[in-house]
Amino acid sequence: MKIFTVLLGVCLVFMFVWERVDMVRVGYQIERLKRDKTVLERQRDELRVKFSSLSASNRIAKLATEKLGMSLPQQGQVIMVQSRPSVTPSADGAPAVVRVAKNYLPSRRD
Amino acid sequence: MASSGSRLRRYALLLVLLAGFGLVMFRLVTLQVLQAEELSARAGRQHEKTVSLEGPRGTIVDRHGKVLAMNMEVPSVFGIPTTLESPAKTARQLSSVLPVKLDDLERKLRQDRSFVWLARKLDPEQGRRLDRLSLDGIGVVMEGRRFYPKGPLLAHVLGVAGMDGEGLEGVEYRYESYLRGEKRMMVLQRDALGRTVFPKSLAERSPVSGHQLVLTIDEVIQYIAEKELEAAVSQAQAKSGSVIVLDPESGAVLAMAVSPAFDPNALSVLNKGRLQNAAITDAYEPGSTMKAMVAAAALEEGAMKPTTMVFGEHGRMTIANTVIHDHEKSGWMSFAQVIQKSSNIGAAKTGMALGGQRLYRYLEAFGFGQRTEIDLPGEGVGLVKNPKAWGRRSIASISMGQEIGVTPIQMVSAFAALANEGILMKPYVVSEVRDAGGHLLKRVAPQVKRRVISPETAHSVTKILEGVVTHGTGTEAAIPGFRVAGKTGTAQQIDQKTHRYSRSRFVTSFVGYVPADNPRLAMIVIIDGPKDKRASGGSLAAPVFSSIGEQVLSYLNVSTDRPVTLAMAMPNF
Repeated sequence: MKIFTVLLGVCLVFMFVWERVDMVRVGYQIERLKRDKTVLERQRDELRVKFSSLSASNRIAKLATEKLGMSLPQQGQVIMVQSRPSVTPSADGAPAVVRVAKNYLPSRRD
Repeated sequence: MASSGSRLRRYALLLVLLAGFGLVMFRLVTLQVLQAEELSARAGRQHEKTVSLEGPRGTIVDRHGKVLAMNMEVPSVFGIPTTLESPAKTARQLSSVLPVKLDDLERKLRQDRSFVWLARKLDPEQGRRLDRLSLDGIGVVMEGRRFYPKGPLLAHVLGVAGMDGEGLEGVEYRYESYLRGEKRMMVLQRDALGRTVFPKSLAERSPVSGHQLVLTIDEVIQYIAEKELEAAVSQAQAKSGSVIVLDPESGAVLAMAVSPAFDPNALSVLNKGRLQNAAITDAYEPGSTMKAMVAAAALEEGAMKPTTMVFGEHGRMTIANTVIHDHEKSGWMSFAQVIQKSSNIGAAKTGMALGGQRLYRYLEAFGFGQRTEIDLPGEGVGLVKNPKAWGRRSIASISMGQEIGVTPIQMVSAFAALANEGILMKPYVVSEVRDAGGHLLKRVAPQVKRRVISPETAHSVTKILEGVVTHGTGTEAAIPGFRVAGKTGTAQQIDQKTHRYSRSRFVTSFVGYVPADNPRLAMIVIIDGPKDKRASGGSLAAPVFSSIGEQVLSYLNVSTDRPVTLAMAMPNF
């Protein structure tokens, strides 16, 4: 009985020590993961800023006009028309809105 | 004899041991009992570190969630001059990476100090290049920096945040309490090498980020407004300009552009005066655009009908010893034509028919002389003189848009009330507040200020204002396929030297809404101080209105309100 009690005591002491050591080990692990998280968050924020800056309307417009040779439609070239519901009914019954480019040339698309 | 000597040695040894043990016990009692408190505190200081942490400043996004302002952690570089062997060599190596002159770096690194800032809030790429150098005696700490990824876009509305992350202007300043991240003190435990192990209390959590603001602004509409405004100001060689686009039904601001613009990312090189949002702070004499409000008041009060005939005095009339001119010598004309031809004499007669008290009451009801309460800092009130001081000349002048100061936001809000069947709405730029996780905390509902005129009067004024664009002074504001209602304005400005109206300094403007029968946009365009003395609201501001309006309506997929046949739309078919 005495031996059993002593063994139990020793086990408890070992368990306590093991728990403390493991807490420190997990603490280091948490800190390492936190640092990794911070690095990843910084990368995410950097990418968000970069994405936002690259998708700015003025940049897109500049690239479209200067690099791709596109141009903005002139006044009157884009007209919104509503097709009659009886001719082309949309799914929800509302008149479909069609965008029509005035100087649209079908041959260019072919 | 030998045994007594041996006993003596044993006793001596025992005595030495007891003395030693006593000393140890004494030291133990001193450390553990007498100095326990002080030593425990010292140990705490050595292996515990209390740090003040602040959550990152909240993000600002447009109505579609596009990022307009956000925080990012970036490197700041410091030096420890006392540990450097060769400050000159280190300075040379650093100068290839840091945006600091070699002389300045060397001077800083030669100081007899243990800490010196070398460069703060660098770009992340510069930080990475610095890491690759791995220099002794040079350290890096991460600090939050505000980024405005769209550059100058919407700069006057967003405002700026300072070096320490505090809002200084615009939305950044007005919504500081929402945007600012939570501040918290945290106790961390350190090991023998100074590494952080974990927070003292496992229940400790990191400080919370500031809230996210969702604006009513649409980035694309803002871009269109800024692009067209900048082109017009530059072409007219004007001093400045502004454009505001509102949703007349809700009062939500879709775009607010001010020229000249500035880049909030380059705060250090900015002049403070340049940050001012002239679209809400600066009062100007509106000129003829005010005639729309006078017409609304006269129609509502029954002082005039659209068909009432008004004599134009052949372009010249004297009121209280002041001669009023019209640019067109007219005889009899209908009240609708008074507005469409922008007759000063007709407007003066309308104002006098209304009388000072009634005119003042409507000016007040339309929101002039008081703040619109838009959620931006520094809004001006304009200037409406006390009606008790008005004589006949003042009534005539105010009816023509002189002797009164209004801000662009007041004027566009008043026109939005005409578009909104007579109901004045409160303009606003922030529509939602969300937490860092994106959960909705607060939604800003459109706010009705008051009904100014009846829907019938609003419709009558709209018809008259449509005439301004179809066959009046504002034909250049026309947008193909849409009915536009609006009014031109060309107002002389007071010469600060002579205190009289200048013949060469004036403000040109166009205010209106489209489509006239179901308005989606109310817009004001102001071009201040064009070089050409013959320029007018009709020739300068109206084309900008048309250009912005057409692009925005197309972007919003608003269908034309006039019948268009396919043959018209596609002549090549």
